[in-house]
Amino acid sequence: MRDKLLIVEDLWKFIDGKPILRGVAFEINEGETKVILGPSGAGKSTLLRCINLLVMPDKGKIIFDGEDILGKRDIHSVRSKIGFVFQHFNLFSHMTALENVMFGLIKVKKMSKNEAEKKAKGALAAVGITEELWDKYPAQLSGGQQQRVAIARALAMEPKLILFDEPTSALDPELIWEVLNVMERLAKARMTMIVVTHEIGFAMRVADEVMFLDNGVILEKGAPEQVILNPRNERVKRFMDRMKYVYSIGKGNVY
Amino acid sequence: MWQSFASYIPIISSAVPNTLILTFLSFAIATALGIAMAFAEVFATKAVSIVVDWIARVLRGIPLIISIFIVFYGLPKVGVVLPSLYAAILGIAIVDAGYQEQIFRGAIKAVSTKQLEAAYSLGLARAEAFLYIVLPQAFRIALPSWINDFTVVLKDTSIAYAIGVVEVFTQAVHVAQVIMDYVWPLIFVSVIYLAICYPLSLLSNYLHSKLKSMGMLGSGM
Ligand SMILES: Nc1ncnc2c1ncn2[C@@H]1O[C@H](COP(=O)(O)OP(=O)(O)O)[C@@H](O)[C@H]1O
Ligand SMILES: [Mg+2]
Repeated sequence: MRDKLLIVEDLWKFIDGKPILRGVAFEINEGETKVILGPSGAGKSTLLRCINLLVMPDKGKIIFDGEDILGKRDIHSVRSKIGFVFQHFNLFSHMTALENVMFGLIKVKKMSKNEAEKKAKGALAAVGITEELWDKYPAQLSGGQQQRVAIARALAMEPKLILFDEPTSALDPELIWEVLNVMERLAKARMTMIVVTHEIGFAMRVADEVMFLDNGVILEKGAPEQVILNPRNERVKRFMDRMKYVYSIGKGNVY
Repeated sequence: MWQSFASYIPIISSAVPNTLILTFLSFAIATALGIAMAFAEVFATKAVSIVVDWIARVLRGIPLIISIFIVFYGLPKVGVVLPSLYAAILGIAIVDAGYQEQIFRGAIKAVSTKQLEAAYSLGLARAEAFLYIVLPQAFRIALPSWINDFTVVLKDTSIAYAIGVVEVFTQAVHVAQVIMDYVWPLIFVSVIYLAICYPLSLLSNYLHSKLKSMGMLGSGM
């Protein structure tokens, strides 16, 4: 039971009276990588944002690390244990790459400046951001570099779980690789991750389990080979056929 | 005519410190009031926000000369008598606060909510996120307009002439009346204003393009 890091039960979210999440339930074990696929507007971002409490669900339960976090008053300490990587990086624009990574360590983890700097440099090195980039501001970095700094910022906090919300969707095709590569290495190192992405190649290689979300409901979940290559649900099959065509995997029937 | 004017130059120049005191103090008071109003408008409840917005509009709508007259001639009626220098400072500050509220409100709103969400995700509380993320970014965004506003206030201080404050414009007019020539005194006093404003406007332009290239002008990311 203890190795279940996250349990989501019957999660509902309404926005302006409209149901966005409709009874979502799943579990994730420590060290697992879960990939969430689904069309845009399905509620994928909302689901991730519920997990780190940027959005408050209306109904259901989220048990993280053995605690019911929806009942907790101290949401800040929960958030500090869950990393979040955004589609648009959301680096602090008035801070250098290094300062971006140090910021949470100093303000939230209350580390000394020296300690934080050492730790931040280690995290930046781990995502392949080399020394000459440490003092650059976000606007001076490429998208791929910015996203890797953002991953380092999350990583440095030593989170138990990292949530990725379409981390490569805002990147030029050539830069997607460097970010997926970093994420794959994290997965291999048994970091627990939930990744919303359209990169089905990445999902095939890295995911322990794939979930397909549509209209606020999980239509299908299972091993990547099964959900991506042989989906049972008609809606999922139609989506995957198109994805396979775009990513040239197998023979996608596009109609 | 220059010869008769030249010996009066020190009389005008000696009023430069007063002009600077007028400018700095009224600008500083207006900044404090402006930031306070801007924060109230963005972060307080809807009702407070509407009231503050309305106050700022009224302040911006008062002609400067009327503001100064109200402080200098009006306040004594309720028992507050201010020397003309302080009356001018307060009168200018009140109106300028309305303009600075506009500058800082725009800047605070231009800081993207995405930046706040990133801070929250790290585990920061609301107040910390405002202090370390919103404030520094809003200040950078506001900086070029804020410097421009300083030059506006500098020139506005000439209106203190109307209640007899000794500043450069007042002195220039007095000299003109003595030598019976307005041309040189007015040229000279204009050069003084220009000498302060011009470098500041260059600085403002430089900072604007610098901050823009650094992606710090609220790109929405
Ligand atoms: N803050 C919000 N205000 C209004 N509608 C929202 C908001 N957040 C999400 N939605 C709506 O909820 C639905 C799901 O959004 P989202 O979770 O972003 O989907 P996805 O990430 O799968 O594209 C969409 O229809 C979107 O318009
Ligand atoms: Mg989304």
